[in-house]
Amino acid sequence: MNLELSEDQEFFRETTRKFLESEMPLTAVRELYESADGFDRDWWRQAAELGWTSLYVPEAHGGGSLSGSPTRDAVIVAEEMGRLVSPGPFLPVNVVAAALARAGSADQQAEVLPGLLSGEEIATWAFSEPGGHWDAASVAATATPDGGDIVLSGTKSYVEALGVADRVLVTARTGDGLTQVLVPTGTPGVTVTRGRSVDMTRRFGKVTFDGARLPLAAVVGEVGGAGDIVEHQLEVALALQCAELVGVADRTMEFTVEYGRERYAFGRPIVSFQVLKHRIADMTHWLEGSKAVSDALAGAIDDAKPDAARLASVAKAFVGERGPDIVDECVQITGGIGVTWEHDIHLYSRRAVVDRALFGSPEEHKERVYALLDV
Amino acid sequence: MTVTEENVETLDVFGSRARAWIEANLPSWDDDEVDSHTLQNLLFDNGFAGIAFPREYGGAGLTLAHQKVFYDTAAELRRQVPSTYMVSIGMMAPTILDSASHEAKLRFLPKALRGDETWMQLLSEPRGGSDMAGSTTRLTRDGDIYVLNGAKMWSSGAYESTYGLCLCRSDWNAPKHRGLSMIAVPLQGTPGLELHRTRAANGNLGEFCEESFVDVQLPVDNLIGEESKGWSVAQTLLFHERNAVANIGYGYLGRTAARSGSAQRSNFGVLAVPEMVERARARGGSPEARQAIADAFIEETVLGITSGRIMAGMRVGTHKGQWGSMLKLQGSVAAHERARTALVVSGADGVIWDGDEVRIDNPGTTWLGCRGGTLAGGSNEMQRNIVSERLLGLPREPSFDRDLPFNEVIRNQGKL
Ligand SMILES: Cc1cc2nc3c(=O)[nH]c(=O)nc-3n(C[C@H](O)[C@H](O)[C@H](O)COP(=O)(O)OP(=O)(O)OC[C@H]3O[C@@H](n4cnc5c(N)ncnc54)[C@H](O)[C@@H]3O)c2cc1C
Repeated sequence: MNLELSEDQEFFRETTRKFLESEMPLTAVRELYESADGFDRDWWRQAAELGWTSLYVPEAHGGGSLSGSPTRDAVIVAEEMGRLVSPGPFLPVNVVAAALARAGSADQQAEVLPGLLSGEEIATWAFSEPGGHWDAASVAATATPDGGDIVLSGTKSYVEALGVADRVLVTARTGDGLTQVLVPTGTPGVTVTRGRSVDMTRRFGKVTFDGARLPLAAVVGEVGGAGDIVEHQLEVALALQCAELVGVADRTMEFTVEYGRERYAFGRPIVSFQVLKHRIADMTHWLEGSKAVSDALAGAIDDAKPDAARLASVAKAFVGERGPDIVDECVQITGGIGVTWEHDIHLYSRRAVVDRALFGSPEEHKERVYALLDV
Repeated sequence: MTVTEENVETLDVFGSRARAWIEANLPSWDDDEVDSHTLQNLLFDNGFAGIAFPREYGGAGLTLAHQKVFYDTAAELRRQVPSTYMVSIGMMAPTILDSASHEAKLRFLPKALRGDETWMQLLSEPRGGSDMAGSTTRLTRDGDIYVLNGAKMWSSGAYESTYGLCLCRSDWNAPKHRGLSMIAVPLQGTPGLELHRTRAANGNLGEFCEESFVDVQLPVDNLIGEESKGWSVAQTLLFHERNAVANIGYGYLGRTAARSGSAQRSNFGVLAVPEMVERARARGGSPEARQAIADAFIEETVLGITSGRIMAGMRVGTHKGQWGSMLKLQGSVAAHERARTALVVSGADGVIWDGDEVRIDNPGTTWLGCRGGTLAGGSNEMQRNIVSERLLGLPREPSFDRDLPFNEVIRNQGKL
């Protein structure tokens, strides 16, 4: 999180943290484990009232950010959500809002944004396909113009909150280019299969398009010309995800080190053993580096820096590796209780391993960094 | 002299003044390299040396934030800045500023800041470097002079420096940390001082030296700080050293500029990222090589961003204390990893070459010495101790010699 938050941002962080602490403590997260959707709609509407869904929505539609820099504001929420492994479709809803704010038609904005803003409606982004790659080249689903319609075929996987989504922003291929279509989930030819994940509350799903037909007015941006906006969506998703991982790692380290000061073995606190101290010192630099690079990414996206794409992959490669590593080391420091259901650390491990894989693994992002080295 | 908000030139005003001066006076990166001493003289004579030092000691009376603006502007404009004063001006001068008497500051600092005299550190001994406070170099008062006896090693740059700041023991009956002093030792032509350069693993003469002191006579005014209060001076020095190595604080003297400019060239076989890419592509770019190169780039990028964050944090007050140690650790780990990556991408061509000559400009030879970075300036293990104990407040390592008179510590050695 940015070191120099404005007063508004600081207030936003405080209210977000208080809201999560009182309305979604870890005991409540645990209760959602058995639930189908993984979050409560009333609770989500409350979160929306706090401004979680307004940051990318233009002021004309009732939204607005605190600082004029929506990603810098959004990562504040994402990090706090990570600290308490919060449920809620924060990432997909904001990515879709960001896409519509940038590339959506006036009609699309007017039709969709108010519902997202109030929390009444949920939208999500369907990009990756079975096999799990988050890059344009791997998009095989097709969007084919046909008269006044656009016809979708193919399968999209790992789509967050799909089971409750009213609309899906689908990224598909038209020849060499990409096309994005906003699809109501009830459209004929669209089949949604609900899925779960290792995470306590994050639900995913698979959606199949079998010649689903929509009016051309459902296309977001240009047919075949969505490459840049898709890249932007990916960067925003990575920024929110990295910030969330920072929150996860930060909080896990806090409670683990605290515990280690109280836990005695051989007559001394376990964190007095040099081997553990040294591991914690390494984790400190992983964490500080994660904070620094996540922050830099949020700024680079909103300032449209030319190296934002590469920085997004640098951030995911670093934070996506170090964040989960920190949690993993903390399990070891915690000892046997760390692998029980009773101890909260698995809630954090769960979030960390899912975030590691989603939107591309660190290994895949290293490939992208390598490919972008000349930028 | 304390600097208050009101009487300091704002960063903006300073920034434009500095920019105009840099544009008009400093040579471009693309020009032939101008020697550091000439450049440092130029900075000093125009009020841009020791930017965060008080004016009475030859500085510009501004702040570290101004210093950063100056060197960032030079980098942005691709202008040369002196490249050889990281130790003397980045570490030693601030230590003198923090610890020495007013008279000693007047005597030493202006010449140091102008680059006319250079300083280095004499801390490590053949007996050991990590346990610095165990120094057995002997300082004895004899009337109105001091006499120094003992040996130092690993002394970087001693052969070409004016002074070494030497940690030595002045009281053998006090406990370890309470009998140490710091004294300035003139290094050129001093009777009783023998100095030679140590041969490094790559076969060349190293930058580092070994010294022996036999009844070396020193004026009492050369003492920096009070007699037997030298440990706090040493601590101050190490703090500035770690910051300088981490490229923050007083040690922020344009190294980033050098890195993005001339140092893109390979240095003793440590390949820069673009060269690694070239080699990897020439060899078909195995997935392992691609990942390793990406890692090198990622670590380098994150390190730069992290040090920017910590400098900002120091300014706004969110980061206090030993963050330099954390950055020093992060940087040393990354540099070591990079030397390894150079081996990964070069394969056999990194260690075997055509022709009869001995060569050292290859990744294999670099590998022989790359651990220097994870030892020099306090080993990685010592930095991890500092981060965990002083940054995070975890319990200190047990020690068996802290409270005993030092004479007794020596008698006990080897009996534990
Ligand atoms: C290139 C280079 C330049 C240098 N320049 C200078 C210089 O200008 N001036 C100067 O005074 N010195 C200089 N040094 C010396 C450097 O500071 C020492 O090498 C370093 O402090 C380690 O000391 P040592 O080599 O005696 O190893 P030792 O202190 O003997 O340490 C050996 C090993 O034991 C480990 N160890 C020691 N204590 C602990 C502990 N408490 N916990 C865990 N592990 C521990 C160390 O990490 C190391 O791995 C330089 C060294 C190098 C390589």
